[in-house]
Amino acid sequence: MNERVVIAPVRKTVRVKAPIAHAFEVFTSGLTRWWPHDHGVGKKPIQKVLMEPRLGGRWLEIAEDGTETSVATITLWEPPHRLVMLWQINAQWKPDAAMKSEVDVRFSADGPDATRVELLHHKFETMGAEAGASMRKDVDGGWPGLIERFVQEAERSKS
Amino acid sequence: MAYGSALAVLADPTRRQVFERLRAGPRPVNVLAAGLPVSRPAVSQHLKALKDAGLVDERSEGVRRIYSLRREGLMELREWLDGFWTDALEAFKLEAEKSHKASRSE
Repeated sequence: MNERVVIAPVRKTVRVKAPIAHAFEVFTSGLTRWWPHDHGVGKKPIQKVLMEPRLGGRWLEIAEDGTETSVATITLWEPPHRLVMLWQINAQWKPDAAMKSEVDVRFSADGPDATRVELLHHKFETMGAEAGASMRKDVDGGWPGLIERFVQEAERSKS
Repeated sequence: MAYGSALAVLADPTRRQVFERLRAGPRPVNVLAAGLPVSRPAVSQHLKALKDAGLVDERSEGVRRIYSLRREGLMELREWLDGFWTDALEAFKLEAEKSHKASRSE
């Protein structure tokens, strides 16, 4: 029995007509050049988005009023093949250990001049992990895995 | 947008607790508040936030108000995330290709 909030992983693939090193470089160091600035989860307008390109580096959003917010932390750094980030999907930009999902981005060469980029955003089940063992009893008696089944079904019908 | 706020709303540990309690089935406020370290009005506030974010439904039963989970809310959140990354990767592709082309023609 899983008492947590379960949301199916998001998987995305995109093929880029550029070599792998270039694609990786643009994705990471060049983040602010492409990240949709109206596309933050938060409400403040984004002025700049930076990624510190190294293990332990942060994904930083800088708002128009100068406020710096750490959105994610790099936990695996294998240029130009892969990076993994702990992603804080709290829209109020409050760091919250319980809210960290994981964004895993893999780059693979598709010929000398193209790159396949696969993005996986998962581990949403960390949301709600804090509810604790006292909740388990309540939940066990009530709603056995309905959300899980619902999400799985939606996922199946989508693909 | 309800989905961005759904993420924000679930970030609060107490709210998450209220949300998870609702997974056992529809409940009135007093039942939800029992055993939680916050006051009943505070729980009502959390329920309102969850409702505004589309994660919880509310209905009247006589004088009581009964709260229940809105399953579609989680699906909407999932779909929002899906679209979020689609847009972001599309923007990334454009920039990577544009800058690659530019560097080749230099």
